[in-house]
Amino acid sequence: MKLAQFHLTLAAAWLLATSSAIAAERTGEQIYRELCVTCHGMAGEGTKDQPKVLAGDLSIEQLTKVIDKTMPEGEPEKCVGEDAKRVAAYIHETFYSPIAQARIKPARVELSRLTVRQYQNVMTDLIGSFRPPSGWEEPGGLHGEYYKGRRTRGGDRAIDRIDPVVQFDFGEASPEPEKMEAHEFSIRWEGSVFAPESGVYEFVVKTEHATRLWVNSNARSEADQPLIDKWVKSGNDSEYRGSIRLLGGRVYPLKLEFSKAKQGVDDSKNQKKPPPARKASIALEWKTPSHAQELIPARCLSRRGAPEVYVCETHFPPDDRSIGYERGSSISKAWDQATTVGALEAASFFLEHLRELANVRVDEQDAGPRLREFCYKLAERAFRRPLSPEQRRLFVDRQFELAGELELAMKRVLLFIFKSPRFLYREVGTPQPDAFDVASRISFGLWDSAPDEELLGAAAAGQLSTREQVSAQVHRMLPDLRTRAKLGGFFLQLLKIDQVPDIAKDSAAFPEFSPEVASDLRTSLEMTLDDVVWSGRSDFRELLLGESIYLNGRLAKLYGTDLIEDSTFQKMTLDDGKRAGVITHPYLLSAFAYTSTSSPIHRGVFVSRSLLGRTLRPPPEAVAPLAPDLHAGLTTRERVLLQTKAQACQTCHAMINPIGFSLENFDAIGRYREQEKDKPVDASGSYLTRTGETVQFSGPAELARFLANSPEVHNATVERLFHYLIKQPIRAYGPDTLRRLRDSFTKKEFNIQELTADIVTEEAMAGKK
Amino acid sequence: MSYPTSRRQFLSSLGISAAAMPFVLNLPSLGLGNEQAAATRKKRLVVMFSPNGIVPNAFWPDEEGENFTLKESLQPLEPFKEKSLILHGVCDKIRGDGDGHMRGIGCLLTGIELFPGNIQGGSDTPAGWSTGISIDQEIKNHLQKNEATRTRFGSLEFGVMVPDRADTWTRMVYAGPNKPIAPIDDPYQMFGKLYGRLKDQESLRSVLDDLQGDLKKISSIVSSEDKKLLDEHATFVRELEQELKAGDGKSLTHAVPQLELGIKEENDNIPKISKLQIELMVNSFAADFARVATLQYTNSVGGARMKWLGVEKGHHELSHEPDSNEDVQKQLARINKWYCEQMAYLAKRLAETPEPGGSGSLLDNTTIMWTNELGKGNSHTPDNVPFVLVGGGLDFKMGRSHKFKRVAHNRLLLSLAHGMGHSIEKFGNPKFCEEGPLALS
Repeated sequence: MKLAQFHLTLAAAWLLATSSAIAAERTGEQIYRELCVTCHGMAGEGTKDQPKVLAGDLSIEQLTKVIDKTMPEGEPEKCVGEDAKRVAAYIHETFYSPIAQARIKPARVELSRLTVRQYQNVMTDLIGSFRPPSGWEEPGGLHGEYYKGRRTRGGDRAIDRIDPVVQFDFGEASPEPEKMEAHEFSIRWEGSVFAPESGVYEFVVKTEHATRLWVNSNARSEADQPLIDKWVKSGNDSEYRGSIRLLGGRVYPLKLEFSKAKQGVDDSKNQKKPPPARKASIALEWKTPSHAQELIPARCLSRRGAPEVYVCETHFPPDDRSIGYERGSSISKAWDQATTVGALEAASFFLEHLRELANVRVDEQDAGPRLREFCYKLAERAFRRPLSPEQRRLFVDRQFELAGELELAMKRVLLFIFKSPRFLYREVGTPQPDAFDVASRISFGLWDSAPDEELLGAAAAGQLSTREQVSAQVHRMLPDLRTRAKLGGFFLQLLKIDQVPDIAKDSAAFPEFSPEVASDLRTSLEMTLDDVVWSGRSDFRELLLGESIYLNGRLAKLYGTDLIEDSTFQKMTLDDGKRAGVITHPYLLSAFAYTSTSSPIHRGVFVSRSLLGRTLRPPPEAVAPLAPDLHAGLTTRERVLLQTKAQACQTCHAMINPIGFSLENFDAIGRYREQEKDKPVDASGSYLTRTGETVQFSGPAELARFLANSPEVHNATVERLFHYLIKQPIRAYGPDTLRRLRDSFTKKEFNIQELTADIVTEEAMAGKK
Repeated sequence: MSYPTSRRQFLSSLGISAAAMPFVLNLPSLGLGNEQAAATRKKRLVVMFSPNGIVPNAFWPDEEGENFTLKESLQPLEPFKEKSLILHGVCDKIRGDGDGHMRGIGCLLTGIELFPGNIQGGSDTPAGWSTGISIDQEIKNHLQKNEATRTRFGSLEFGVMVPDRADTWTRMVYAGPNKPIAPIDDPYQMFGKLYGRLKDQESLRSVLDDLQGDLKKISSIVSSEDKKLLDEHATFVRELEQELKAGDGKSLTHAVPQLELGIKEENDNIPKISKLQIELMVNSFAADFARVATLQYTNSVGGARMKWLGVEKGHHELSHEPDSNEDVQKQLARINKWYCEQMAYLAKRLAETPEPGGSGSLLDNTTIMWTNELGKGNSHTPDNVPFVLVGGGLDFKMGRSHKFKRVAHNRLLLSLAHGMGHSIEKFGNPKFCEEGPLALS
C-alpha cells in the first residue's frame, strides 16, 4: 500500500506576525475574563443570552482562527493574533477540549434498565432456554417433498430434494412426468429461515392453487395457525401476504404447503373425463423491514428445522439515543406501562405453553412441587443469578401459598418476576459486582442478552475471576448469531443507514434507479460488511480499502459491468480500482446525495462525523441548497464553494467541503464519472487533523487510504464501538481506557472481532477492584 | 382447550390495538357502560345457527297470524310465544358455485354468491369463500362507527363444537369478501377474551406490595445517585397500584361469571358447552361488551350425535333419510326441538336479566333469530329456510306466525339492519333487494 502524502504546515506560524507587544503581557485567562466571560460564563458553561456550552473538538489552531476572525461577537478586532492564540490555548486546556470536559465533569457508570433491544432479547432467550437449542446450519435452501395426490402425506412421496429457492413455473406439466401426474400433485417445503434484521416481515406466496405458510410455528397442533392460509382457494387472487414480527439474527421454523388439486369432497372416482389441464406455479417471497419485496434468497433458507422463537409484541417507547448510543439510564411512565403489558404478554405465553416449557400440566398429581421448581429456575434465569433463600420464599413459595390455585400462583410468580427491577435493571443484585455481574456484562456486551447456561455455570464455579477466563468465555461467545446481529447493527449505525434512508432519485436523470436497485445496493453493502467483520482477518481497514463489491445482474447492468441478468450476488471489481471500501459504495454515495446531483456536503459531514469522529454543530441558520439550474455553468464543487464562502459557514465547511470534494468522481447514484458539465472533475481535497497537520488527497482511493490509517478514525471507532456495546460512557472506566483499547486495536492489526472481545473483557473486569 | 397462538392475537384479545397498549390498564375505559350511552335504548341482535334443515310438518305452524299452535320442534318457545315471530316462505335465492350446504351457510348472512374456488362439495362446482360481508358484521360496523352505540367488542362470535377446520362449511360470519371469521367454540377461550384482563389485573395487584418491598431492598444497596432512578420507579409502581384500585368496581356492572371448569370439547358435552356459551353471551350483554352476537352450533352438514336425546346417529347422516322413514323424521324433529330449547334458554336468561341502566329486561331489547342453511335436509332445498325470531330488540311485531310467498332472504337481512337502525337499501346481491326490507314491525 502506498502512503498518502502528508503536507505539514505550521498553521500558527502566520499568526506571529500580527502579535502586539501589550497583549503579550496578558495571560489567556486574563483575556478570557475580560472579553469572553460575560457571554460564555466562567467555565464556558454559557449564559442566558449565549446558552451554548463552549465545548468541542477543534484544535487550538482552529480555535485560534475562529476567535481571531469572529470573537468577541461584533468586535472581532478586539482579540486577534497572539491574544486569540492565548485565549484559545487557555479555554482548550481548561474546559473546551474533550479531555478537559472529562476532567471537569467526571463520568460514571449509571444504573441502567434493559434497553428495548435488550428486553426483547432477554425475553426471547429466557423462553428459548426452556426449548431445544437453535443454530444456523446448512443454509442454501429448503427441504422439498413432492407428493402424488392432493395431500402431502403418506407413501405418495415421489421427489425428495433441496430447493435453493421456491420459484417454480410448472406450466400445465408435472414437476417430473415419470414420477407424478400433472393434474394433481402437492408439495411441502420445510426448514428454517434466517431473519437478518428486526422488524415486521411480510411473507408473500404467489400461486394459483391451494397454499399454506407457517413461519415461526412448528404447526404441531391445529391451534398453530398458519401465517397464510389459502387452503381454501377462493376467487382469482394469486398473491397472498402475511405479516409477522421477527427479531434479527435469529432462525425461525418455516413450512410451505402447496396443492394442485380440489379440496373438500374427493370426487375424483366419479369423474369420467380427465380433468382439464391447468397451470401451476409457486413463488415464496418476502419484504424485510428495510428491503424491497424479493424472492427469499437461498442464503436465508436452510433445510434444517428450528425451534419456535418468542418474539415480544409489546411496544416499548424508544430508548434515549441523544448522546449517540442507546442507553437505559432513564425511565418514564410509558416505559413502566410497557413493562406491565410485556409482563402480561410473557406470563400468558408461559401459561399457554406450560406443558412444552415446564413439562408439567397443572392437573397432574405432583404439579405443585414441580411447578415451584420450574419457577425457581425461571427466576434465576430471569434475574441472571442464583436466588437467596429469602428470594425463593418471596418470589415463589409465598405466591404459591397465597394464590392457592396453581394457575393463579404461576401467574403471580411470573408477573412478579417480570415486573421486578432484578429482571428489568442491570446490576442491582448485590452491593458490589460479583461473578454473576461479570457474566451479565459479557453477555450483554456481546449479545444484548442474558448469559447462557454455560456462562452462568462458569460464574457459579468461580471461573470468571481472571482476565484469561473472561476472555475465553468472550471468545466462545463471539461467533454466536447474537454477536453477529449486534455487530451488524453497529456498522449500519456507523454508516448512518440503520434507519433506511430515502434514496429515491430523479427519474428523468436516473430512470433505472428503481426501489429494487436501492434495495439490492443495501443488500450488497450488508454482505460486504458481513464479509469484512466475519472474515478471518476481520480487518477494519478492509472496510475502507476493499476493492471488490457484491453485484447481482440488475446492479451489474446499471453500474456498467458484465453479468447475466438474473445472476445472484457475487464479488466483482468495479471501475478498475478507482473505488475503495464502503465510502465508495454506491449505496452510501446515493444516500449522501441529492435526487439528481451529488452532495459533497453530505458526504463530507458523514466522513467527518462518522469516521473521523468530529463534532459538527448544525448550521447557524437553515440554508436551502443553491438550485443547480440557477448556476447552470457551475460544477457541484463550484456551487458548494459559492454557497459556503461566508465566514460563518467556513468554521465547519472548511473541514466538510474538502473531504466531500474528494468523492466528486461519483454522481448522485454513485456511478463513476470523469467529467461533470463537460469539465473534468476536480477531486482534490484536504483535511486538517486534530494535531494540526494538513493532509491532502486527490480522489476516493487516497481519501480511503488516509482514513484507513488515521489514528483519529481508529480512536473514533474504538470509542463508538465501546459506547454501542457497553452503553456507558467510556470515560467512566478511567482516563486511559480509550488509549489502551486503541493501542491494542492497532497492535492486533485492527481486528474488529478482537476489538469487540477487548472492549467486552475490559468492561467485564472493570468492577473487579 | 385451544389458546390464541400468536402474541398479536393475545394483544387483540385484550380488545384493543397494539398502538394503545400503554393504556391497557386504564380501567375506566374497560366497560363502556357510561351514562351517556344509557340515555338511548340499546338494541341487540343475536343470530343462532343450527344445521341440516328441519322437518316441515313438525316445525311450521299451520296457522297464520296471532293465533297459532307451536308444533313439536318449536314447543320450547311456548313461554315466549307472544314474543316470537315465525317466518315461513323466506327463500335463499343465491345460486352459483358450491354445493347446497356450502351456499346454505356461506350465503345465509351474506346474501351473495361464493367465489369460485377449490373446495369440492358433494355435488355442483367447487367454490371458495363468500364474496361479501355478513349482515351481523355490517350492523356491527355501523354501531361501532357511532360513539353512542360503540362497545368494547362490537360483536362476539360464539360457536358450539365447530370442527377445527377452516372451509366453506364451517364459516357463517364474514368481515368482508374472502374474510371469514372463525367462531370461538371454546367457552374458556371466550372467557379469556371477555374477562382475562380483569383476572390479570387481580393477579398484578396481588404482587405489587411484595414488589414495593423488594424495590426498597434494592434501593438500599445502590449509590445515592442511582437511588433517584429507583425512587422514580417506585412512584410508577405506586401509581399503578392506585390506578388498579380506582378501576376496581367501576369496570363491571356485574360479577365475573363463574364457569364450571374442565369441560372438554367433545360431542357429549354439547349441552354443557351450549349453556356456558349462553351464560357468557348474557353476561357480555349485561356488561355491554357487544350489541351483536352469533351462536353457531356445529357447522353446515354438522354431524352432532345427540345421545342425550337417545339419538345415536350423526345429524347430517340422518337428515338425508327420506320422508317415508318416519322414525328418523321423529328423531330429526327431536334434534331441532333440542336446538329450539337452546334458543328458549337464551331467551329465558335474557328475560331474567334486567337491562342495566334502562328499563325492562335484556330480552326486551334483544332479538334472537334462529336459522339454518337449508329448508329441508333430504331435499337440500334453499326454500323456506327457517327464520324464527324471539325478543323485542328490533321492534318487530311479535306473537305471530307469518307466511310469505317465496320472498328472497336478502330482504329479511335488510329488515334486520333497519331494525338495528342501519337503513341500507341493498345488501348482498342487489337483484334480490329490489322490493326493500320485509315489513315486520
